[in-house]
Amino acid sequence: MKDNVLHIENLTMQFGGVVAVDNFSMDINKGEIVALIGPNGAGKTTAFNAVTGVYQPTSGRVMLNGENITGLRPDQITARGIARTFQNIRLFSSMTVFENVLTAQHLRRTSNLFSATFRLNKAEEKRMREDTEALLKQVDLYDLRDEMAVSLPYGKQRLLEIVRALASGPKLLLLDEPAAGMNPQETDELGEFIRRIRTEFDLTVFIIEHHMNLVMKISDRIYVIEFGKQIAEGRPEEIQNNQDVIDAYLGGGDEL
Amino acid sequence: MKKKLDLPHILTVIIIIAIYAAVFIAEQHMPPTSMLFTVLKKGATYALVAVSMNLLNGFTGIFSLGQAGFMLIGAYIFSIFTIPVEHRGIVYQYYDGGVIQFTLPVLIAMILAGLVAALFAFLIGLPVLRLKSDYLAIATLGFAEIVRTIFQWDKLGPVTNGSNMLRLFPTFNDFNIKNADGTVAVYLSTIIPMLIAGVCIAIILLLINSTYGRALRAIKDDEIAAEAMGIHLASHKQMAFCVSSFFAGVGGAMLAMYQTTVQAKSFTTAMTYEILLIVVIGGLGSVTGSILSSFLFVAASEWWLRFLDQKQVINGFEVPLLRNGFRLVVFSFIIMIVVLFFRQGIMGTKELPDLFRKKKTAEGGAK
Repeated sequence: MKDNVLHIENLTMQFGGVVAVDNFSMDINKGEIVALIGPNGAGKTTAFNAVTGVYQPTSGRVMLNGENITGLRPDQITARGIARTFQNIRLFSSMTVFENVLTAQHLRRTSNLFSATFRLNKAEEKRMREDTEALLKQVDLYDLRDEMAVSLPYGKQRLLEIVRALASGPKLLLLDEPAAGMNPQETDELGEFIRRIRTEFDLTVFIIEHHMNLVMKISDRIYVIEFGKQIAEGRPEEIQNNQDVIDAYLGGGDEL
Repeated sequence: MKKKLDLPHILTVIIIIAIYAAVFIAEQHMPPTSMLFTVLKKGATYALVAVSMNLLNGFTGIFSLGQAGFMLIGAYIFSIFTIPVEHRGIVYQYYDGGVIQFTLPVLIAMILAGLVAALFAFLIGLPVLRLKSDYLAIATLGFAEIVRTIFQWDKLGPVTNGSNMLRLFPTFNDFNIKNADGTVAVYLSTIIPMLIAGVCIAIILLLINSTYGRALRAIKDDEIAAEAMGIHLASHKQMAFCVSSFFAGVGGAMLAMYQTTVQAKSFTTAMTYEILLIVVIGGLGSVTGSILSSFLFVAASEWWLRFLDQKQVINGFEVPLLRNGFRLVVFSFIIMIVVLFFRQGIMGTKELPDLFRKKKTAEGGAK
């Protein structure tokens, strides 16, 4: 029996009359890289947002390591060990690379406003900075630490966003189209990077991605949704040969 | 981890100490009625309030316009609790000397002024901070107006003296150390307000550079990302709002001491706009900028441009246009020019130590 990290049960997300995610269930086990794919507008990001607390699910349950996290705020969910990146990069634009990563350590603080202001938390601040330095060194961003985050090349910004998410100390990492806008070489490197951090940080990864090469290469399992409903689930080679999936991407057979 | 005691920081400390020393020496040797001291006193007060507003508007990205309201609360709390008991009969002449019949030491009254302002901020922050940008601005502006009206309410007269003036409480001049015969031995009436403002601003700076300060800047940059990084938006905004209001309250107490009298009707929206103007001209997100522009603003409006309000005759030639009110026209032009040529304010987001660094980091902020 594998360790279950994320368990989604009958998740439904409704906006007025539109059902963006319809009765969706899935399980992710420890150490897996699981991809969620589907045509544009299938409800992938909505499912992400429902898991991370950006949206309150209309119905259904989300469990993290057996704890019900449905309806918690995004920051509470992050504190419980889910970190995420965004489809459109959301770095802190007034901060350097170093500060971006450092800020993600804020949630592990034990100091309060008073002790932090009057520098009674020297040891903690030192630990935060050392951890950040170590992390940046580990992912080869250390040389860029004093650059403004938004002045980095696009690929590095994507990378930095993942690193910032790692700094919050997650068990489960949610990546929303991390390869969007990347060239084939950068995409390959990203794939390597994701596999590497899975091992080095003992992570479980849940990824939304459109680059099929990347998805097929790194995923252990794939879920496919269309119009908010799950249409397939399985290992990459199973998905590649699944008729429903091919229909969803290329148009249904009856329309041809 | 090298940081800290590098050259730019040492230079900054030297400059600050030099300024304080210069003010102290000037105060002992120049006539106390000199405009310089008026400007320094009011400038220090405005600098504190401007920095506190910058903490909200520049560092947290909360567009609040309630500053005058919190200053009013601070000014009233301070003066109510510091009017000597023997003067209360005169001040509260329409309310039988008022209900409060004790006096607090100046320092404690100032802290209390800040705490009460922060308490009000906490209470109105609960509903108001759910709003965003313009709506938040309107709500806080409304709050300031409501406070101004409530403090003039006749029923509260025994405490607030209604719409009448509060006076005869300690002022900046009471900081001077006097000889037995009443002459002043050591002038401290400018240096002490500057020190109070300096200490308060130093505390705000410490906060900004702490892990909480980084969280606030994260909220300003991107609320959604900040929340995804585990920063609780509501509590951090509430915290910034209360801290900012605390120091606005202390600033209000200082303004009371500067003005020597307090009347609710003088804490108008125009006062908030003045401070907002200072913050914007100094640079949203720069404490140094707020301080600099406070002194420049006060000096220009109270001192350097005064001559424009009077007829000037040079060699028998009467300079045209100069008349009462012309100062404000020129002042507006100067502000427009500053805004046109310094889009980010005088300092942008840079601080004093950054000025001594090489150009490298400056480019990132220019984009």
